[in-house]
Amino acid sequence: MDPVTLAVMRGALEQIADEMDLHLIHAAISPIISETNDCAHGIFHPDNGETVAQGRYGLPVFLANMQFTTQNVLAEARRSGGFRPGDIWMLNDPYFGGTHVQDMQLVAPVFIEGELFALLASTGHLMDVGGSVPGGWAPRAEEIHQEGVLVPPIKLYDGGRLNAEVLRMFTANVRLPEQITGDLAAMANVFSVGQRGLETLVARYDAATVRACMDEMIRRSETEMKSYIREIPKGRYVFEDHFDNDGIVDAPMTMRLALSVSEDHLEFDFTGTSPASRGPMNLSRNTAISSCYVALKHVFPEVPVNGGAFRPTEFRIPEGSILAAEYPTAVGGYLEIVGRLIDVIFGALAQAIPERVPAAPFGTTGVITASGMHPELRSYFVGVFPYPGGYGATRGSDGLVHGNTPQSMANFMSIEMSEHRFPIRFEHFSLREDSGGPGTRRGGCGSSYRLRALSDVTVSVLGDRVDHCPFGIAGGESAAPNRVEFGTGGESWIPPLRSKYERAQLHDGDWVAAASPGGGGYGDPLEREIELIEEDLNLGYISPETATTRYGAVAIEIDRLGDRRVYRVDEEQTAQRREALRNAREGDGAAVPAARKDAMPHVR
Amino acid sequence: MNLPLRLARSRATGRLSARSQQAWNERARRMSGLVGIDVGGTFTDLYHAPGDGTPPRILKVPSTPDDPSRGLIEALDAAGIAPDGVAAILHGTTIATNAVIERRGAHMALVTTRGFRDVLELGRRDRPQMYGLSGNHRPLVPRDRRWEVTERLSHKGEVLVPLDDAEVAALAEVLKRQNVEAVAVSLLHAYANPAHEQRVRAILLEACPDWHVVTSTQVVREYYEFERTSTAVVQGYLQPLIGRYARRLGERLGEWGFGADILVMQSNGGLVPVAQLADRAASIVRSGPAAGVMAAARIASAAGFRHVITGDMGGTSFDVAVVLDGSPDVAETTNLDFRMPLRVPMIDVHTIGAGGGSIAHVNRGGMLEVGPRSAGSMPGPVAYGQGGTEPTVTDANIVLARINPDRPIGRGHGLQLELARDSMRRIGDRLGLGVEQTAEAVLAVINQRMAGRMRLLSIERGLDPRDFALVAFGGAGPLHGAALIREVGVQTMLVPPHPGVLCAMGCVIAELRHDLSQTLEKGLEAMDAGDVAAILAAQAAEGRERILTGGIAVDGIAVEHTADMAYRGQIHTVRVPIEPGWPADRIGAAFREVYGAKYGRPLDVPGRIVNLRTSVAGLRAPATGTAADIGEAWHPVEAARRPVHFGGWVETRVYDRAALGPGAAFDGPAIVEHVDTTTVIEPGMRARVDAWNNLLVECA
Repeated sequence: MDPVTLAVMRGALEQIADEMDLHLIHAAISPIISETNDCAHGIFHPDNGETVAQGRYGLPVFLANMQFTTQNVLAEARRSGGFRPGDIWMLNDPYFGGTHVQDMQLVAPVFIEGELFALLASTGHLMDVGGSVPGGWAPRAEEIHQEGVLVPPIKLYDGGRLNAEVLRMFTANVRLPEQITGDLAAMANVFSVGQRGLETLVARYDAATVRACMDEMIRRSETEMKSYIREIPKGRYVFEDHFDNDGIVDAPMTMRLALSVSEDHLEFDFTGTSPASRGPMNLSRNTAISSCYVALKHVFPEVPVNGGAFRPTEFRIPEGSILAAEYPTAVGGYLEIVGRLIDVIFGALAQAIPERVPAAPFGTTGVITASGMHPELRSYFVGVFPYPGGYGATRGSDGLVHGNTPQSMANFMSIEMSEHRFPIRFEHFSLREDSGGPGTRRGGCGSSYRLRALSDVTVSVLGDRVDHCPFGIAGGESAAPNRVEFGTGGESWIPPLRSKYERAQLHDGDWVAAASPGGGGYGDPLEREIELIEEDLNLGYISPETATTRYGAVAIEIDRLGDRRVYRVDEEQTAQRREALRNAREGDGAAVPAARKDAMPHVR
Repeated sequence: MNLPLRLARSRATGRLSARSQQAWNERARRMSGLVGIDVGGTFTDLYHAPGDGTPPRILKVPSTPDDPSRGLIEALDAAGIAPDGVAAILHGTTIATNAVIERRGAHMALVTTRGFRDVLELGRRDRPQMYGLSGNHRPLVPRDRRWEVTERLSHKGEVLVPLDDAEVAALAEVLKRQNVEAVAVSLLHAYANPAHEQRVRAILLEACPDWHVVTSTQVVREYYEFERTSTAVVQGYLQPLIGRYARRLGERLGEWGFGADILVMQSNGGLVPVAQLADRAASIVRSGPAAGVMAAARIASAAGFRHVITGDMGGTSFDVAVVLDGSPDVAETTNLDFRMPLRVPMIDVHTIGAGGGSIAHVNRGGMLEVGPRSAGSMPGPVAYGQGGTEPTVTDANIVLARINPDRPIGRGHGLQLELARDSMRRIGDRLGLGVEQTAEAVLAVINQRMAGRMRLLSIERGLDPRDFALVAFGGAGPLHGAALIREVGVQTMLVPPHPGVLCAMGCVIAELRHDLSQTLEKGLEAMDAGDVAAILAAQAAEGRERILTGGIAVDGIAVEHTADMAYRGQIHTVRVPIEPGWPADRIGAAFREVYGAKYGRPLDVPGRIVNLRTSVAGLRAPATGTAADIGEAWHPVEAARRPVHFGGWVETRVYDRAALGPGAAFDGPAIVEHVDTTTVIEPGMRARVDAWNNLLVECA
């Protein structure tokens, strides 16, 4: 293979995928696609459905599951006589490959010189696909039908002809039919961008060369992936973490991973993970695998997104577990599972390559949905506030404050804009002090806010990480847990399931408050530089109590500015106190100080 | 809102300006020279239009980062310009950008509504890059200098909690103890009612008149608390520093003997007089690139090109912008750094890490990649002999003889070709390619990345890349432009007469400009045409006042009004040209037309006005030259011939740009050597010089 052609072809194929992303982001009607890029596009191998290239503007959560969905559609098409030019398949069936029913995937064949040359896919988040709750976040769903209309792999276009009856049937069952019709049309149009791009490439080189380059790109990515795997010390790394509950039954659930690293191969074994839940805390098998790649990509950002990178990996996902959702289990809480899955991979890899891995991020997508009838605008509103939180520290830096989840890039809504659109008022929006896990490098802080209702507002919460905190690594400690609180009729209360509640009725003056977790710490907090502790104290990132008990720092108040105290950390006294703490640890035989130990995940 | 007062003030200053107009006319008769100076990180570029009919002169001298005004004077001296022959000095500068990047701005405080001091630090929930969770963020104002005052407004501007004057006065005493130099005041919903912000400002200034106090609504009167706060903070952070710079610049130019107009380029592509510079400190960030785009837009428009993509390739980056019908695209919000949005209209310049210094390497899969890592100015390309060992794009151009190693731009001595060849050979061996083949591959890969960005920019606007011309400039732009137009399918590349100093030239031809905005956030059904007209009139009056009080005479004032509009429920807005006095249905029709043109078809959903905007331009006499008469095309005489590699070594004609005038025409392959860069014309392409002395390169 000519290396120049290969390098240029790789760029050209990635460019086509990028152009498909941008085309949909530009043309989609719903803001969730046009504003938060909740979509993805790719080019896939015609023989085996492996990813050749995927657009770089789409969301991480679709990283590999597009390939699996496309592979399933390929098999289905073969069973029914194969692809024909002008076919466009459509599906949102999570068990068949997808994420949740809101994500619709379209798959189209590209024929060149009469032969099947490649497959193209477009995934987009539709604002509503029916179900019991507008937008689809139903914390008490017990089966998929409460989350929306299920679309098995069917042909939206058959040989270039729109299957109008199917479209009518589908849009009759969604809340925003005009918008959804427009988005589906925009997605179908994207394929002409991909088709044109591939035709241009074939005209410039020839079909055989382009095809050979696709094969070679996949092989090269495999080589590249293996070179990263070889940097991980061989061994078996086990890690376990837990969920609060499934939204229905108040019992913790377990995510357990044994990661085996051999010469140039990774095996992810999830044996020991909890069985499927009654509530919506379930994940399809393919999205579970996809999430493993998201975690790897966060550790090795240079790894290309291509079927070859997925080859040197193997998965053991127990049948009937929360990682292998089967009909008719609900999957609306899938982002919580994705988040924890990424966490346990960090936890396992931290035992092997702590220098490259972050401690656990805040770990909950924790969507707060506020809905109702606006008393002045006289229209129905749905406000979605996804959880922000702190990132875990790394060897090189303290964790980021107020990040988005690792599988998403979506932003938090503007406070001022929210108050224009919804009958609510924010009472504060603050950095949450003392929420980052202590460590030589401190975990990033979470945040807290309180929303007061100005008329009748229905609030649902679907989150996690109250009972089991984001963990630290390499001797770093856990972050503060999530906390959700309601105030109704003058009484404040914590939801019985702590992180999940469906349809709390708020009236004028009632409120909901959320405090998100920080990220875990990295390294022994007793090793943190005293200048940094002093700064953390004076910036209010940590409390004097934490400085004393977790960091072994002796802080002396030297001034007052307004209502704030100014501290200096005394070097000599701190050294003495740390010495004493270290001696006490050795006496206990414990590697980690006692506080929050109950909340730490179990490491074996 | 106190509209009548503002209008009255504006009328008063109108009279003042009539007098200054006279004085200017007088002066203009004596002096007509214009000097554009763009102070960049590495070089200070000068463009001098003498105004007496003689051709413009250009110059490049090293910048003096410790005191940029010194380099500026040195450039003027080196060019041998007489101070009394110059009517105006027009200036682009990176001083604001550098102060932010290097965190050298003011020791300042931020005052917010109680409960919201962390808005600046939290941002809107994001991370620095899509993959990889490392990296951190340091806000310009740390948390211990962010303070809260008791007060709260509703989204309609009603006072829910009144401001406590005594509390603010007490806070002023605390801020004195913190030794701050500047204070930003950003209160929730202040765009709907700035009274509390103005009161806080008054109390603080009373306590300490030396402070620079910036209110958020002074800078941007729009909703989105984080973006507005961040913008006010950037303004406060830069204001003292930029004020000092403006003063020093005036003094130095005064010592040099210059007493006429000094104007500075803003990032919106318009100029601001140096006297008002401190107040517009946040608006001069990235002014150099904006000036380059303005110049490229003007030149292309005069040369008859409707839509252009401008490509400025330097040592470390490739800056691309889109110009439609002569107007550069404008971005409402630009991120200066991670979680540091600046919400002022800026010419939308997209940057990718592709420049002459971009490093080529073989990745773990055995594939060639180029950039985004750059060798920078130290060690620079391998051929510079400063210790670099990894081959760069410049080394590839040297190995292929596209750059003349004996005549390097901006360097006193020659280049070391053998070192460049050795470095290319090292990666060629791993790829199984020869030295020249490797260099060609490096160019193919970097050109593809740049071409890809150009394609995406046009596709994002729903346009076919083939509808554009490329204006190539910067030190490396004309070296790569031919490959880019071939790759993208663009018909023509335009290389302006002085591609290496285009930003300096852009300063000379720009207008004065002020942009004003205010959030309305109202459905069309609830809109009052009188209210809208009053806001637009007040904005126009304020812009006019700023221009008239700036001490710079103008030929005329142009006012444009637009509305940011969306359908109910949408977050994304489109910008719709409107006129004061239009009723709701007229505005609605204009919105549907713009939306339809951009997204295919309008929706059957109620429309909404989010922001009202007015841009006020102070027009200056055009400073561009005149078109020459082109008679017969003529074949220029080549200055030299040398073998240049285009797939193989080809004996290639080399022309001296200075010897090419309007009407000159020749075929590729050819090399044109300019004082400030090199243009490559590939085999099969044709080149000619147009009536405006632009070099046009066309695909056959």
